[in-house]
Amino acid sequence: MSSQLGALVAAHLSDRRRSLLAWGLPLGAMSAFIVAIFPSVESSISKLVEKYPSGLKEAFGIGELSSVEQYLHAEMLSLIVPLALGYLAVRAVASGLAGAAETGRLDVLLSAPVSRRRLCAAGFLATAAELAAVLLITGLITGLGSLLAGAGLEAGPAAEGFANVWPLALLFAGLGVVACAFSLRTSVVTGAVAGVLVAMYVIDLVGKLDPSLDWVRYASVFKYYGNAIQEGIEPLAFCGVLVAAAVLAGLGSWLFDRRDISG
Amino acid sequence: MSTPVIDTEGLTKLFGRHRGIEEVTFTVEPGEVFGFLGPNGAGKTTTIRALLDLIHPSAGSARLFGLDSRRDSVAIRARLGNLPGDFGYGRQSSGREALRLLARLRGVEGTGRADTLAARFHADLDRPLGQLSRGNRQKVGLILATFHEPELLILDEPSGGLDPLMQEEFLALVAEERERGCTVFVSSHDLDEVQRVCDRVGMVRDGRLIAVEWMAELLGKARRRVTVRLADGARPEELRSMPGVSDLETGDETVSFKVAGDLDPVIKALAAHHVTDLEAVHPTLEEVFLGYYQGQGPR
Repeated sequence: MSSQLGALVAAHLSDRRRSLLAWGLPLGAMSAFIVAIFPSVESSISKLVEKYPSGLKEAFGIGELSSVEQYLHAEMLSLIVPLALGYLAVRAVASGLAGAAETGRLDVLLSAPVSRRRLCAAGFLATAAELAAVLLITGLITGLGSLLAGAGLEAGPAAEGFANVWPLALLFAGLGVVACAFSLRTSVVTGAVAGVLVAMYVIDLVGKLDPSLDWVRYASVFKYYGNAIQEGIEPLAFCGVLVAAAVLAGLGSWLFDRRDISG
Repeated sequence: MSTPVIDTEGLTKLFGRHRGIEEVTFTVEPGEVFGFLGPNGAGKTTTIRALLDLIHPSAGSARLFGLDSRRDSVAIRARLGNLPGDFGYGRQSSGREALRLLARLRGVEGTGRADTLAARFHADLDRPLGQLSRGNRQKVGLILATFHEPELLILDEPSGGLDPLMQEEFLALVAEERERGCTVFVSSHDLDEVQRVCDRVGMVRDGRLIAVEWMAELLGKARRRVTVRLADGARPEELRSMPGVSDLETGDETVSFKVAGDLDPVIKALAAHHVTDLEAVHPTLEEVFLGYYQGQGPR
């Protein structure tokens, strides 16, 4: 990593150091709570889930809830964590580009001998590091909750479950870079990409609920998300989404290089 | 012949239906302090943003240090310092954090003369910028623009928010930068400031560059206001028909008028009378500037 890129990534992470805890602690606490209560609700939950329609169970990734891993996936990793991290990703990227333009920082940085593409790359890489750190904090707190409650959460599958969120969230960081090429208003970028995030989730849900509409799921990155805590990370999907995120970031930086940055 | 530090040719930027700048052509020579004058919205900042490659010209070109402003933007920016109009960097960061990052981006060891400048301008580099007044933020911006001793300083409304003492310090700094060999391009609508430090000025109106003049010539070409007190209460009406004389007004014992060019014919005409007092006042840049804006020429 070049010295310039390293300096920009470090500055971006330093600016967003509070968000690591602001996102990691509540998500971790929520996951730890879910894991901790599993032993006490296990039997009643299983009976309840048996009564759910099969389509609904498949749509929300509930299936069997006979293990703490399955329960963690159903309650956190199938919906809350991916949506939260996807939103965090676009917020982080938007703050580094659109937010910097709004505060005047972009003018100052672009007075130095640094290319716009490098600025975009730094924003994307810093977001990747921020997401990894939040997932790590969330995972560690979840593990701690399991340990304290004696829930028996297995470290390996849990780690895979949290790690699998990373490329998915990063895809929305890539989309955020693209959005910054069209608007340098944080609210517009965040709103637009968050809208895509929710739309993709809904599209995937619709495809799962109605088998005749399964084809629409190809329009959603959630199709490639899977259930890593139970089935392990699927390397092809994991790497494919990661590559797609990087391609989007590259496209975004190419477009960003061509736009005007008005004062 | 040395390469101009700034050389624009027909530089044009249109924002859809809105006018930006049109056909702006000028050069700035090495070591020169060039003032860029115009009211708000005239196109000063748009020109600067095009020079810095923040916005891309619709037509025309700009070269800095002989390099193309678009293609060689990064190489150009390595050699300049820029103070944006209404400087900002985010509320949470301190000036020192910004300084350290810029030093790393510029590949500069340490933060150069930043602390010396901070002491000189009474700037607080360690407080979050969000806690500083506009003037104090501006001081930090000035330090960020100059700490690395650039070859070219681009300053957009630099003294906005500075108190009079700091404005004096700023003008002294610009003079010192020129002594150092730095070229300074300063956009302003503070005409007194421009008059005191600039060698040449360019005036923009409605997005077009309407004049580029040496400061001394500009003021010399402009019409002086002459007031003469005559002991005999004479009315030297012959002055009215003299070339270069205008706006003649007579009082009880005084005659005042404006003169463009050589004063000698006026002095010789007045010699026929008993002159008890004579005052010739050069116009300020403000008067000249208003003349350009109202009548397309020095008045």
